Amino acid sequence: MIRVALIGNPNVGKTVIFNHLTGARQYVGNWPGVTVEKKVGRCTHRGVEMEVVDLPGVYSLTARSPDELIARDYIVEEKPDVVVDIVDASNLERNLYLTLLLLELEANVVVALNMMDVAASEGYEVDAGMLSKLLGVPVVPCVATRGEGIEALKDAIVDAATRKERRRVTFGFGDEIEDAIKRVEAVLSRSGSEGLSRYPLRWLAIKLLEGDERVEALVSKFV
Amino acid sequence: MEEIRRIREELSKKLGEDLEVLLPARRYEIAGEISRRCVRRREERLTLTDVLDHVFLHRALGIPIFLALMYAVFQFAYSVSEPFMVMLEAAFGWLASLAGEAETPLASLWADGICGGLGFVLVFIFPIFFLFFALAILEDSGYLPRAAFVMDRLMYRLGLHGRSFIPLLLGFGCNLPAIMATRVIDDERDRLITILVNPLMSCSARLPVYVLLAGAFFGAYAGAAIFSMYVLGIALAVLMALLFRKTIPQLRGKPAPFILELPPYLRPTLRSVLLKTWQRGVVFLKKAATILFAGALALWALSSFPWGAPLEATYAGTLGHALEPLLRPLGFDWMAAVALFFGFLAKEIVVETFGILYGVAGEEEIQAAVAAHMTPVTAFAFMAFTLIYLPCLATFGIIRAETGSWKWTLFAVAYELALAYAVAATIVAFGSIVWG
Repeated sequence: MIRVALIGNPNVGKTVIFNHLTGARQYVGNWPGVTVEKKVGRCTHRGVEMEVVDLPGVYSLTARSPDELIARDYIVEEKPDVVVDIVDASNLERNLYLTLLLLELEANVVVALNMMDVAASEGYEVDAGMLSKLLGVPVVPCVATRGEGIEALKDAIVDAATRKERRRVTFGFGDEIEDAIKRVEAVLSRSGSEGLSRYPLRWLAIKLLEGDERVEALVSKFV
Repeated sequence: MEEIRRIREELSKKLGEDLEVLLPARRYEIAGEISRRCVRRREERLTLTDVLDHVFLHRALGIPIFLALMYAVFQFAYSVSEPFMVMLEAAFGWLASLAGEAETPLASLWADGICGGLGFVLVFIFPIFFLFFALAILEDSGYLPRAAFVMDRLMYRLGLHGRSFIPLLLGFGCNLPAIMATRVIDDERDRLITILVNPLMSCSARLPVYVLLAGAFFGAYAGAAIFSMYVLGIALAVLMALLFRKTIPQLRGKPAPFILELPPYLRPTLRSVLLKTWQRGVVFLKKAATILFAGALALWALSSFPWGAPLEATYAGTLGHALEPLLRPLGFDWMAAVALFFGFLAKEIVVETFGILYGVAGEEEIQAAVAAHMTPVTAFAFMAFTLIYLPCLATFGIIRAETGSWKWTLFAVAYELALAYAVAATIVAFGSIVWG
């Protein structure tokens, strides 16, 4: 069975896609310790069973808000096989911020480029192929409200989960910051701690530079 | 860990900005770059929203435009409501005269307590409704989120979170819902600071005090004098937020970065604007029917008994004289002291008190009466004092409820009293130098 997480900004059609993917096979619970709703569903595609978890709608992944922390912790700690990032094609720039954060987390991302119809009606043409090339991840155009692109999305999820090698694109923060990231990485790997090896090194370094309280607490246990 | 911290500080110093802001900013640049390469606009069609945002969100013009709009709002609320106020005053004056000469307690209760006190406050229903009307138009047009966006950059520098802006803006209506609205702020420290400074946002209950005094002393500049109270409130809120952030250990730290969705501009519908105006304005009417009515009765009783005694010898007079020494340095007399004392229940009562103590009905007379007891400088100081000195009883309760702590609630009261005294004293000292 492959484990899939759905994530995206608020109001991008995440729930619609979740319902399309899982049909009636879903149940609702709570995330541990908080009163945020947790929806989980199942489906089988091309003989592969998948479990789909609906993460809260968020704009970013800081440690400051409970929703963002839930989403982030799930991806970092539970390491789902595929993270489907639902992106509003009519608002690409704003939505890509979250996508970049997911790539920093080194999640196995599949982008569902949703609301293509809205983008078209507003006079935008979005090049899914180019987006896939620039991000280094599969991009599937969809119009979830009409069920368009859902089958292709399921294909892409199964492919991504079974694919052996991934092309990884790293986005640079500019020389000075990159240099600092390298130095923090060096400090972290010098400590050689087992406890940290389960987290992406570059992500830890970036979060430490940003002063993320949770990551600081985590790292100070080991370093 | 020490070494990592050193790397961070070194880098932050070298780049001259906080990394917590800089790294996300860099991500936005990358997102913009990718988006530009993937999205083509079939026709270069500028929407109305694009055009308006170009102006309203302009880096240099955004804040001046915001201030100009707010000034227009207050000028509008004051000048449009004036003729209506005069008419309603005349009506209450006539009602008061029905009881004849106020020689018996009952006639006095009618003329001085009900018509002179409660009626006097009711007149202010007009500026309050017109203010809400203008704010509802701004809200429905989609401008308010833009204002929040424009102010965020400035507010972040000043130690406030961008999400604080809407709760602070709501404070212009009433601090009560405004403080409840701070729940949208995720970060506990940001939220606490926003609650603590919220009472400095001048709510509509304080408007009657400004309208009365500004009308009596500043003539053609009344609108500007009223506006200046709002600006003073904002400036103090910002200063205090900065001060709290710097000095109180529990509140130290940077505000969280802020993402805000800007909806397209819409033409406000009359129906929705009127509905909002009514929903917010009716709170004042309910208050008039309950706490302001009770306040008028209590104040009338305190200022009329022992029956037949001169005003100075009544219970109110005794109380006022007891408090007067505290406020004397600010140039406030014993009547002002009584007004402020009862103003804690609800700030409109400050005006009600003047109406009853001066024992006259109608704004014209009362303005003359006030003018005899104050100078323009003390009047301005009094306006500022009323703005700052205490959250009203209801706000006090909500601060306790939302912070869940008596310590922070009492802290809010203490700092506001001290601040009010300091500001009023500064105005008086400054005024006496300039005008001798």
